Amino acid sequence: MRALRAVFIRLGGLFNKKCQERELAEELESHLQLHIEDNLRAGLSPEEARREALVKFGALEATKEACRDRSRLQLLDTLSRDFRYAARTLRKNPGFTAVVVLSLGLGIGANTAVFTFVDAALLKPLPYPNADRIVALLQRPLKGKDTSPVAPRSFVRWQDRARSMEALAIAQVVPINTQGVEGAEQVSGLWTTSKLFEVFGVKPMMGRLFEDQEGLDRAAIRAESESSQVVILSHGYWQRRFGSNPDILGKTIPTGHSSATIIGILPAGFRVGTLQIDLFLPIRVDRANPDAIGSRGFQCFGLLRRGVTVETAQAEMTVLAEQIGRELSVEKDWRVVVLSLRDYLVRDNRLVLLVLLAVVGFVLLIACANLAGLLLTRGVGRRSELALRASLGAGRGRLVQQLLVESLTVSILGGVLGLLLGFWASRALVILGKEAVEFGQMAQVHLDVRVLSFTLGLSLLTAIVFGLAPAWQISRFDLRESLKAHGQGADSRSQQRFRAAMVVGEVALAVVLLVGAGLLLRTFSHLLDVKLGFRPEQVLTMRMIVRGDPAFRSSLVEDVLDRVESLPEVHAVGTIQFLPLSGWTNNGPFYFVGRPKPADPKSMESDVSTVSRGYFAAMGIPVLRGRPFTREDRLNSRRVALVNQSFVNRFCPGLDPIGQVIMGDWANPKPTEIIGVVGDIRHNGLAEEPRPTVFLAQAQVPGYITYLVVRASGEPMALAHAVRKEVADVDPTQAVTAAQPMEQYVSAALVRPKLYSVFLGFFSALALMLAAIGLYGLMAYAVSRRTHEIGIRMALGARPGAVLRSTLRQGGRLISLGLVLGVACSLVFSRFVASLLYGVTTGDLTTYLVAGTLLTGIALVAAYIPARRASKVDPMIALRYE
Amino acid sequence: MGDKTDVWQGTLALMILKTLETMGPLHGYGIARRIEQTSGNRLCLNYGTIYPALLKLEQEGFISSGWGLSDNNRRAKYYSLTRAGRKQVKKEAEQWEETADIIARFLSPGEES
Repeated sequence: MRALRAVFIRLGGLFNKKCQERELAEELESHLQLHIEDNLRAGLSPEEARREALVKFGALEATKEACRDRSRLQLLDTLSRDFRYAARTLRKNPGFTAVVVLSLGLGIGANTAVFTFVDAALLKPLPYPNADRIVALLQRPLKGKDTSPVAPRSFVRWQDRARSMEALAIAQVVPINTQGVEGAEQVSGLWTTSKLFEVFGVKPMMGRLFEDQEGLDRAAIRAESESSQVVILSHGYWQRRFGSNPDILGKTIPTGHSSATIIGILPAGFRVGTLQIDLFLPIRVDRANPDAIGSRGFQCFGLLRRGVTVETAQAEMTVLAEQIGRELSVEKDWRVVVLSLRDYLVRDNRLVLLVLLAVVGFVLLIACANLAGLLLTRGVGRRSELALRASLGAGRGRLVQQLLVESLTVSILGGVLGLLLGFWASRALVILGKEAVEFGQMAQVHLDVRVLSFTLGLSLLTAIVFGLAPAWQISRFDLRESLKAHGQGADSRSQQRFRAAMVVGEVALAVVLLVGAGLLLRTFSHLLDVKLGFRPEQVLTMRMIVRGDPAFRSSLVEDVLDRVESLPEVHAVGTIQFLPLSGWTNNGPFYFVGRPKPADPKSMESDVSTVSRGYFAAMGIPVLRGRPFTREDRLNSRRVALVNQSFVNRFCPGLDPIGQVIMGDWANPKPTEIIGVVGDIRHNGLAEEPRPTVFLAQAQVPGYITYLVVRASGEPMALAHAVRKEVADVDPTQAVTAAQPMEQYVSAALVRPKLYSVFLGFFSALALMLAAIGLYGLMAYAVSRRTHEIGIRMALGARPGAVLRSTLRQGGRLISLGLVLGVACSLVFSRFVASLLYGVTTGDLTTYLVAGTLLTGIALVAAYIPARRASKVDPMIALRYE
Repeated sequence: MGDKTDVWQGTLALMILKTLETMGPLHGYGIARRIEQTSGNRLCLNYGTIYPALLKLEQEGFISSGWGLSDNNRRAKYYSLTRAGRKQVKKEAEQWEETADIIARFLSPGEES
């Protein structure tokens, strides 16, 4: 208690230093006067009286010092003194300070930026009340690793039997045609069973949610029966479309060709995972015929019972899937995958984020190694100063404290700079990465307490971990030797080894990053050089969702094509169900009519695309043989198809494909004659080899989703308005949206490779620079230490060239060591990015050679500058140099 | 001064407290003087050492200080015992006597064994 009281008083003592000093001085003065007066009374002479009083008092200054120590907290006092001292030394060495603060700032800034990014994706809690209990269920074929959406027939069985789930729901995103403020518009709808809201724990902001068994089965929707429909609006759509009108409940809005009554509004900010949904529409799964609403195409979400883990649920679902497989032959090859919602949302992004984290982690390590190395160098140079301090009574702990305070000052400065850079960089990263990474909470990427504490923690950690080692090293010396040697004593072996290790490590890390950057850059350039097979320039694409019976759908598209074709700026126009590089495709088995059916239907599979007349011309895909679709290929005329070159190579080697008749497992299949062959294109991704594809005629098998492809004579986007007007003239309720130049899809496919190569390119350059600085620092220091020795050598006749070579050799040894280590690490690490590469292997010789050469070149320059200085040493000056 | 004893660590505080208890409020010089006299001039005391000790006692709340005038009208800082200080004197004195007693038993041979 008493001790604590004293601590508080001493803490307080920090603030009225001056006052205390004066009072102490006065008190001691009065003491002396009292003593002198006594002595005078005792009969001493004035001089003797004063002398006696002073002698009796003892050391005046020591007393004052003792009182000062007592009156304030010593630790704080020395700390603040150390900080001031550190600030002064740092100011006096602007070069050193700038290098260290800048490299730390860059390292910390990069980490801050990536942390904000990763935090939003991986670490921040998802905005649902029971986020840790929400799971996503997927199906996976027995022989295969790609997961797929869920089939309703499985879902109804899970719903009945899964005991680990409190609630289960399936949902499917569907574009919906409705009336917007400015005529027909397409919005994003979600067909869902009623439990979805329970799974995500959302309550309506207004109105109510769906009741169990409310809603239509899909058959009824397709038949466009007029039975009553209900709809729930998202908060955003309610604001956007209805101006937040509070009296909206009970009103109806058109949905496709029917209409629905608004029964509720969801709270602001509610999202189902990453989906941006405007309208929620109920579906009901008919137990007797679950597949009536569709096949394997639903997202499935579940809420685990309290206390049930994902693993337990997975175990139960695996057993259940086997059970269902025995009951239903169509499901016998399918298993279930249970993922926590976070894993589900992050799925494909995990690798991206880990790569980013690893890269900036490496950069920070290099920066820290630099810090440690530079601190050690400086510390060793300050040996004599430290020795003097030690001889005046500073303990080793006190010296370490002082040195640590210095590294702390540097790292805090670096942290502040890092925060600024990180703030700026995280914005750049969001711009760069927004399209590359689907983020549930991307909107929430900003600097907050979590990020601040991360940065602060990182700065402190670097200061302590990388400041302690050099501080400990420096403060270990023999006092007498150090004072005698006048700061010129040879370094201890362990110090040299420590510094050399730091530099070797830096070089190795830089090599790893350079190799990574090289591999990804080569991937990127290979992707840029990929022959697309079509010409995306000057092509406009727009999406239409067509409703109605097949005849209606067919004629509507024909009418639209006729009208758009006649626009003056249009070269060609066509439609396709799923655009190339949009990530979507259909596929299925087929067989040749007149040839024996294959034993395994899976052995003859192709992609299937539904395109209209004019499509190949509009997309710029050459028709190699035969003819494209024409106006004559109508709904009821003979079924015709085109195939691509890959199809011919694979299934008709040495045969004339034209005239062959095929049957496929397609919608409404009929014998279909092949009438032409088109060139291969990259439909499924830039890095994916073209797959055998069958093109069916839109007019004969009209789909619901179709994309207009318009080749313009000028700027394609300028046409969007005119096209929209033509569509509205055909049918005012028909919405047409998502106007995008085709080039957009191509560049979107390049976004991730671009992110990787820009990111790695930037940071490997940074790493290279930092490693070069580290090497330069070491060499420059070594040379300055050896000036005396070099002077003697040269005085004894050593040639400058020999001195240069011997100095360079020292740097060369470190570089080659780092290079070997770096290449070894690269061979290991590059395996992790193997899946990101295209056109290069992880052991790509060119990349390694270029990376090695680049690094060696720059490192040699960094070593050469000090080496040259060594060779220019004037023996006379060097010998005097003490 | 060879025959004089140095002040033992930790005993100075008790001497100060005891002096203040007997003499009432007193300035630093007075306390030092008094300690020397009480010891019959057998203690060697640098007067200066008394000040850090006074500061410590004040921080611990055993004594309080204030400026006042000496007998011959000189301004000086006077120290006086607080209530906690009085208790502390008693406690420490008892402890000291006990210690002295034990040591004394060790030093006087043959009494018990």
